[in-house]
Amino acid sequence: MYKFIKQYAETMKDASIYPMISLFIFLIFFIVLLVLVKKMGKERVTELSNIPFEEDELTNSNLIN
Amino acid sequence: MQVEKFYYDNKIVRNFAYATVVWGAVGMLVGLWVALQLVLPSALNITQYFTFGRLRPLHTNAVIFAFVGNGIFMGVYYSLQRLCKARMFSDKLSYIHFWGWQLIIVAAAITLPIGLTQGAEYAELIWPIDLAITVIWVIFGWNMFGTIIKRREKHLYVAIWFYIATFVTVAVLHLVRSGELPYTWLKSYSFYAGVQDALVQWWYGHNAVAFFLTTPYLGLMYYFMPKAANRPVYSYRLSIIHFWSLIFLYIWAGPHHLLYTALPNWAQSLGVVFSLMLIFPSWGGMINGLLTLRGAWDRVRDDVILKFMVVAVTAYGMATFEGPMLSLKSVSAVAHYTDWIVAHVHIGALGWNGMLTFGILYWILPRMFKTELYSKKIANWHFWLGTLGILFWAIPMYWAGFTQSSMWKQFTDAGQLKYTFLETVTYLKPFYIMRSLGGTLFLVGVIFMIYNLYKTVKAGKLVANEEAEAAPLQKEHAKHEGEHWHRVIERKPIQFMIISLVVILIGGIIEIVPTFLIKSNVPTISSVKPYTPLELEGRDIYVREGCYTCHSQMIRPFRSETERYGEYSKAGEFVYDHPFQWGSKRTGPDLAREGVGNLKKTNGWHFRHFREPSSMSEGSVMPAYPFLLENDLDISNTEAKINAMRTLGVPYEKGYEKSAVADLVLQSSVIANNLVGDSIRISPKKEVIALIAYIQRLGVDISKNKTATFNK
Repeated sequence: MYKFIKQYAETMKDASIYPMISLFIFLIFFIVLLVLVKKMGKERVTELSNIPFEEDELTNSNLIN
Repeated sequence: MQVEKFYYDNKIVRNFAYATVVWGAVGMLVGLWVALQLVLPSALNITQYFTFGRLRPLHTNAVIFAFVGNGIFMGVYYSLQRLCKARMFSDKLSYIHFWGWQLIIVAAAITLPIGLTQGAEYAELIWPIDLAITVIWVIFGWNMFGTIIKRREKHLYVAIWFYIATFVTVAVLHLVRSGELPYTWLKSYSFYAGVQDALVQWWYGHNAVAFFLTTPYLGLMYYFMPKAANRPVYSYRLSIIHFWSLIFLYIWAGPHHLLYTALPNWAQSLGVVFSLMLIFPSWGGMINGLLTLRGAWDRVRDDVILKFMVVAVTAYGMATFEGPMLSLKSVSAVAHYTDWIVAHVHIGALGWNGMLTFGILYWILPRMFKTELYSKKIANWHFWLGTLGILFWAIPMYWAGFTQSSMWKQFTDAGQLKYTFLETVTYLKPFYIMRSLGGTLFLVGVIFMIYNLYKTVKAGKLVANEEAEAAPLQKEHAKHEGEHWHRVIERKPIQFMIISLVVILIGGIIEIVPTFLIKSNVPTISSVKPYTPLELEGRDIYVREGCYTCHSQMIRPFRSETERYGEYSKAGEFVYDHPFQWGSKRTGPDLAREGVGNLKKTNGWHFRHFREPSSMSEGSVMPAYPFLLENDLDISNTEAKINAMRTLGVPYEKGYEKSAVADLVLQSSVIANNLVGDSIRISPKKEVIALIAYIQRLGVDISKNKTATFNK
């Protein structure tokens, strides 16, 4: 298997296609990410962003200010 | 639901905090020392152990791995426990992690000055220490994941994703960069050679910046900035986009350190494209940090901790704007090899890492010691000394970099280079003095902080085990109907780690694998031959002395460089270079063609130059190397070195190791005899002979091959 890949890669003509492929992969990745993030519910976002402050309500060690 | 009582481990956080402060001061002090060495070379390069070439790696390693490293662990151990509502998984692992890391630092502080190095920037530490780093890093990960798994909070807050990505990526980077073949119990050669070693190095080097100096600190920013401002992060959605885009893009950007070098063009373009795109997630993160202060800007005026954090995030924004700009080929053509790059990294190190660390220290120590900060006034002094220190450090260096670069490129009307290299160096001395003043200001600020924190700690008492309560986590086996994808993976740390790993591996694989496999990337040059045993020993001295910290061996294809140094460098020239020594900074001139053409000097010139550089080049800032004239060359490993090189693919004939020492002795005596003609009498056994042999070899092979054609 490795030999096959090695032989294929060694004879690959145009490696300059790599940046284009990479850009394309990222574009897809980014669009999917944007769509998924957009679909998040508002109350959940608020809940998540408040995690650092929950300890203050739940613990006895409320030292904030 | 029944709440559980548990205790946060503050003692381990305190230990890491103390280590951060101590190593920070040490690392910066060494930094100031090396800065002054460029101003007063003969007074400050004392003994063979404290030359610039040996101390500069000590400075970078101390600041990155000791100061920032301990800073990361301090912040992670504090915030992770609270975000998971759980004590660290194991006190024993915390203890081993802490002491193991400090021992690694001490080992680095001993080995680097005595000249034990691998000669790769930020990966200088020798293989046994590399091994120790691997073990301790695994222990850190084990402790972190153990804590995450036994947590009482269902979701993993954004800071923890950054910690997970840091853990997994640093592990990958460290393992790949540490690919080396030991030939004694202290020394080894890199698996990779030349162009491939360069690509691995800057993939590693750039991502050490990304995943050691940036992602963990972004995690800390996402925890400590909301805490200090007492309001949640500006946009949690933005933090998700920030995280995934950043880790996806960062890993590709390494080749921007190698623009116009012998690296294949496609890889350079790849690096440029991804570096440019990197500005978006980076600025997304910066904006998210700064806007967390929305409605609280008035507090920035009074709250010194917020001041530190605002400067830190602003410095992050400046450095991450400048980074993509520097990766443009036309800008890189000017900035590369100059002090501009040094200025750029110090905006990051002093501004982003330094100021955020100070802010966090001022925030957590009074809390853990149940007391108030001893003096806000002194902290304010620290803030201003630090901020002005950064400016006085960076501005002269930007200026110096730009000036030197334009001096390198200037021609007279007759078409000749206007300035000698040395003229461009001596011109920079005032800038180096100003930079040292900036560094001094910054360090004085740190001393103020040490005093302030000492008084604070003295006035309070450590709450070693801080009591807390939280409900245990309910076991959930099935995904809720319609639940958001990110909420699902946020609950599953191991899956989260695997996805992060996949995301960073995509970039790594696409970038690195073709360079290793596609033959046309490194066209062979028939006249390039392996080093003779003496040259190999000389090369190892070159590596040991850290010559690469000031000298490049990579001529870019510009007229200003080919006029000064000779024919530009080709990928095929470096196929036997384990490790590569292209360097990244020209405090001294390029040496790639030092043995041929106009640059060739006599053996006697080199001998006198090593003994006292300023005797041959007046005003030189290079350290003197009289010890090379006194130390005998250690040839006890020559045979092992030849064997190791052959294993790595260097075509020494089978059995050559047996006659290698005889060849070495012969070549040394030829050089020693030649020196006699220059009125220099020295034993052929001395180290300087080997180093002269190596320097005289540089560029020789390719000059024999004038008729060959090269693929770009």
